[in-house]
Amino acid sequence: MAVAVHEGEKWFRTCDVTGFKVDIRAEKIAKVNAVMAVVSFLIAVVAALLLVLTRWQLFHLLPVDWYYRVLTLHGLDALVFWIIFFELAALVFGSTAFLNTRMSSPFAGWLGTGLAILGWLLVNYTILTGNADVLMTSYAPLKAHPLFYLGMILFAVGALVIVTVFFANLMIWRRENPGQSLPLFVYGLMAAAIIAVITIVSGAIIYIPTFLWSLGIISDIDPAVYKLIWWGLGHPSQQINVAAHVSVWYLLAFLTVGGTSINEKVSRFAFVLYIIAINVASAHHLLVDPAVSPVWKVWNTSYVMYLAVFASMIHAFAVPSAIEVAQRRRGFTKGLFEWLKAAPWGNPAFSGLMLSMIIFGFIGGITGVVNGMEQTNIIVHNTISVPGHFKGAVVGGTALAFMSVTYYLIPLLFRKKIAFYGVSKFVPWLFGIGVAILAVSMYILGAFGVPRRHWDITFSGGPFTFTFNPVTDFFWALFGIGGILAVVGALIWILQVVVSVFFGKPFNGPQDLQIPIAEPPPPPKKGEHEGFAAPGTFVLVLLFMVAFIIFVALNYGWLSAMWEVK
Amino acid sequence: MSEERKTPFLQLVFDDFILLLFIGVAVYAVSYLIWGLMELAWIPPIPDEIKQSLLGR
Amino acid sequence: MAILPPGENWFHQKVAKDEKIWMGLAFVMSLFLFFWMIIWHVYAKQNPSFVTYKTTPEEFYQLTQAFIEKYKIGEENGIPVVKPPPGSDVFLLGRQFRWEPVLVLKKGEEYRFHISSLDVLHGFSIQPVNMNFMVFPKYDYVLTFRPTSAGEYAIVCNEFCGIGHHMMIGKIIVEE
Repeated sequence: MAVAVHEGEKWFRTCDVTGFKVDIRAEKIAKVNAVMAVVSFLIAVVAALLLVLTRWQLFHLLPVDWYYRVLTLHGLDALVFWIIFFELAALVFGSTAFLNTRMSSPFAGWLGTGLAILGWLLVNYTILTGNADVLMTSYAPLKAHPLFYLGMILFAVGALVIVTVFFANLMIWRRENPGQSLPLFVYGLMAAAIIAVITIVSGAIIYIPTFLWSLGIISDIDPAVYKLIWWGLGHPSQQINVAAHVSVWYLLAFLTVGGTSINEKVSRFAFVLYIIAINVASAHHLLVDPAVSPVWKVWNTSYVMYLAVFASMIHAFAVPSAIEVAQRRRGFTKGLFEWLKAAPWGNPAFSGLMLSMIIFGFIGGITGVVNGMEQTNIIVHNTISVPGHFKGAVVGGTALAFMSVTYYLIPLLFRKKIAFYGVSKFVPWLFGIGVAILAVSMYILGAFGVPRRHWDITFSGGPFTFTFNPVTDFFWALFGIGGILAVVGALIWILQVVVSVFFGKPFNGPQDLQIPIAEPPPPPKKGEHEGFAAPGTFVLVLLFMVAFIIFVALNYGWLSAMWEVK
Repeated sequence: MSEERKTPFLQLVFDDFILLLFIGVAVYAVSYLIWGLMELAWIPPIPDEIKQSLLGR
Repeated sequence: MAILPPGENWFHQKVAKDEKIWMGLAFVMSLFLFFWMIIWHVYAKQNPSFVTYKTTPEEFYQLTQAFIEKYKIGEENGIPVVKPPPGSDVFLLGRQFRWEPVLVLKKGEEYRFHISSLDVLHGFSIQPVNMNFMVFPKYDYVLTFRPTSAGEYAIVCNEFCGIGHHMMIGKIIVEE
């Protein structure tokens, strides 16, 4: 293993665009994880198309067994593998290149990557061979093949190894730079890594006994204990995404317009609130379960008095205000919104960033809070509103942010020119608008009571039947259209990435840069800090607050018209 | 307050990722996991009156 | 700059006025949401129950059969129809892939539902009122319902329970 590091050691290259020192050994590991992410995304997207065309009763494409099989595949590849592999790549690359530091242990990096890939193979294999038709949550006593659980365990352990390497890299950096604070992007990744530790350890706590149970060594798994601990994996894994994509937002604000958080302390404070409070929201999934008490439910489901929601609302101001202030310094000061109009909308990373923030906030965020409130959960739980919510949060928010930043990773990490760059500027719109339509129509369908994870809502073969409000036909059509748009957008993006990375022209330096990196804006003029720094952003977040309050009020008003229950 | 080079306490906390890791894990483990598992363990069986009224025993 | 360490004095930088106001608003909203849940829990009429008993599939099956025998008024599509008196304990059993029994209730009266499963997890979803709860094996979830509207209602299973999940539909009839 490497000991002392000197300038110009053989494992470093200097990036000719950013001037960063890049550890080539870390870069390779990051590349492999990023490729795994895209492969998982491809599987997830193809599965998504099949699922959309099955649930849209007009086509009802897949037979019943394959519907649940593909749904399991989609859930795990989309919600776990695609984003976690991407985050592992970000952790490895972020903790080395962005800190100008070296990889603490390339061996551990490869070990983690190898274990994760092996786990990924086992899980995908058992699902596709029909040995794990248990859906993503795999609630015991539904039982899958032991190799499925083993795959999940190996993936978790692999991820944990890389998270450990990340922290080791930070320690090296701290030793080399005593007294310094991390760059905000890496700080956000650090928050994500802490949340990842909680996620992965919970996963191990529950999957190891479940694995033994599937082998017949343990006779029984308590269903309530399983569900409680499983959501310690299932929910925080999505909170890793929140922390990671918010970090990516800050990064993109910088790369696309040169925006910097107007107050680093505030932004960091918000990340600290995530670390403290966001994980207990696993309770969202247990609100209408037997077993736990209302005190436990209210305390945990509210992220300890909504500290994490508070943190997200801080970021909701901090990121756009970074953009606004940078744009205003460039002279776009007319009125409230000239800065926004004059923004580089032709840059796919910028339009992707804006769409990601809007969809995450207005669709994913607001619905998430209502879903996670103790009482309104009664009218949402296990309806198709739930996946509607996380289409907004994870697909519109996280996936779109990751897709956008990839337009920078292709030249800077993979050192390739972006293939078909001309179409890039349409991709975020196609994907974002598709996902928004999909998410909203699913949320509305859920309000009509349509269940999630259901092959046939005409209940063919059942002793009774039930017909949902005919208005749902319209929203099913909308659901189909939104889904297809999003799938097309995603496939174009995947095609661009694959062609660029494997068959693309090499990137030979700044002259080959297709996607612009913004110059930092001129320094602040005198008097800028008096009064409002970002009035346009302020108006936008007020708008958000109004939408938020209306949505909460509507849901409680509706709930009050239901049967009484206690 | 003297304008010394002394780093504020809260900044030290913000910068100490190992401490934050510990706090994050601890809050989750106590508030969600341990408390939740304890509540699961405390659930009583179905009361006898209810059983007797149906089974007549 | 998101990619470089912050300036030396980042911790002492003053928070801009608009950011400060926004943080205040956001914090008030957060506290409001928290206390709203508590207020609703105490004063309003729709809250998830917290009464739960431990049971076993055998015990719960036995209780449900005894309940059905006691109040049975007929049968529909092979599933017993039961009309328990208002205010009584009602037993509802979920299993792959049916709900037992069919319940006949009276509008405006209270019933203590005991819901459990014989095998895996199920979802208890009353349609079209759209109220949703979870059903576990080995746990008896006690939900006290007061139906406030009459008519025929479906119980849809909305937690995946196996290949016949989509056939799992039950019925509640609420009489005036």
